Amino acid sequence: MDNIAIKVNGLTKIYTQSNKPPVVAVDKISFAIEKGKIVGLLGPNGAGKTTTIKCICGLVIPTEGHIFMEEIDINRNLRFGMSKISAVLEGNRNVYWRLTPCENLAFFAGLQGISYRSVKPYTNKLIELFKLQDKRNTQARYLSRGMQQKLAVACAFVKQTDILLLDEPTVGLDVESSYELRELIKNMAKESGKTVLISSHDMGVVESICDCVIIINKGKIVTDDSISNLFKLFSTSSYRFEVLDKLSTLQKEQIQSQFDLAKIVEKDSQTIIDTELKTHDELYNLIDILKSNGSKIESITRKEPDFEEIFLKIVKNEK
Amino acid sequence: MKNNITLFITIIKRDWLEMIRYSFNMVSGIVTLYLLFLFIFLGYRAVGAQTANFGNNLDSIVVGFMLWNFSTFACSSLTWNLFEEARIGTLEQLYMTSLGFDKLCMFRIVGDFFLNFIFIVPVLVLMMATTGRWLHIDILSLTPLFIFTLASAYGIGFICGGLGLVFKQIQSFFQIVQFVLLGFIAAPVNKIPVLKILPLSLGTNLIKEVMVNKLSITELPIIDLILLALNGIFYFGIGFIVFKICEAIAKKRGLLGHY
Repeated sequence: MDNIAIKVNGLTKIYTQSNKPPVVAVDKISFAIEKGKIVGLLGPNGAGKTTTIKCICGLVIPTEGHIFMEEIDINRNLRFGMSKISAVLEGNRNVYWRLTPCENLAFFAGLQGISYRSVKPYTNKLIELFKLQDKRNTQARYLSRGMQQKLAVACAFVKQTDILLLDEPTVGLDVESSYELRELIKNMAKESGKTVLISSHDMGVVESICDCVIIINKGKIVTDDSISNLFKLFSTSSYRFEVLDKLSTLQKEQIQSQFDLAKIVEKDSQTIIDTELKTHDELYNLIDILKSNGSKIESITRKEPDFEEIFLKIVKNEK
Repeated sequence: MKNNITLFITIIKRDWLEMIRYSFNMVSGIVTLYLLFLFIFLGYRAVGAQTANFGNNLDSIVVGFMLWNFSTFACSSLTWNLFEEARIGTLEQLYMTSLGFDKLCMFRIVGDFFLNFIFIVPVLVLMMATTGRWLHIDILSLTPLFIFTLASAYGIGFICGGLGLVFKQIQSFFQIVQFVLLGFIAAPVNKIPVLKILPLSLGTNLIKEVMVNKLSITELPIIDLILLALNGIFYFGIGFIVFKICEAIAKKRGLLGHY
């Protein structure tokens, strides 16, 4: 327990409205996040990610369950919880648009009772790291969306809490800004040893910065594992064959009948076969089919699925 | 203690910066208020100039108008601030302060009280210059009277703010509240003493005694002063309780960040 930053135990949130059936947003989920880890929270729209994060932030009262930080139930001691947490909840909608980056940073530090004088060297560092030097005295409303979102994340860092919760921090950003922001989050979090829970639809963000991932669907956890384990799990059986000739009709029929998920694509004088092979025998069977008509195999590669595919497979299987 | 002082300074500084950045809004607000008063004054002068109590009544109108604006600001600032913070997405951030949102609200009210003075004082001076009636400004007597009078207005503000957290669009309701406040301020507490239990009514009457009839606080009936203090604490307390109930409902329904 000493090494656990957040422990969520049987968290349930049911929204009720008169004349409407209750909506189960989060259904008895439990997980623990180790100190210093960056954990991704993934799920399709409406899966319950934001509700989970807002329950941890004390902004939504759970129907059931508990959230512990250092063995203290934050619903019983919300102020303790808030001394441990900072969050970016909706992209760029977290800062004061009429205040400059420096003024915003001073304000959010002040919210934790940290005086501007004591935090000034750190705000200067954040301004520099987040590349906001040229805009330090420009009102946030005149900044680009990318800069506003960087400022929102910087405002979360300036609170100097142990835990950082980020709900879609890169939403709406172009590729370059998104990359820049995720690198910043990754480096800053690792440098300061913060525990980070990040929800995102951007698989690139999750894949590149997270140690572990929790996938939720319809309010339930369907996977809670490390990114590397998920890759291991899903990269065992996907193969791509590149054949120099076109296949005969018989070969195609044999492949389709023996390998359910096989995809055959013919390109000019080349054929690409993508399939899943569960055993070595299946691999030899496919080679035999190709050999039977003298097809020349140019390459056989084990196809590494990208993280988006893994996510979709997990969610679809759950459905 | 040091953390609380930092939080207080942080809140005041931000409110001040925003007021400066929205300076056009502030200046146009002062001009609008003055013009509104000018219409009332010119209208009253046209119909009531010949009456025996014209001067005293005019003084009462100035005090009443000032208090109405003060109480409307007091009442609306919390409601409007909560709505605006939810709209720009910072309300949830404020709720995440480790020093407690309640404390933040209280600090904000204190800050607001002083910032409203900055807004109201120029209008009051303009009103007095226009009417040529210079009211008696006894700071020592007026400060406690203003605090307890406006405490009830902040209580109503808490109720409106709480309803805003749950129902979001309450502008129409708030417009009605503004006129209800006017009714409280104009309530004839001297003729019907039971009206002293209403918010703002007794306080307005006592402030008029100081500003118009030039009495000091020590010359006011002690029972009225006690009643005013209890009145302010009662409405502020009730307002705060309603606000906390609404806040709990909003948190339960996940409505805090909605607008």
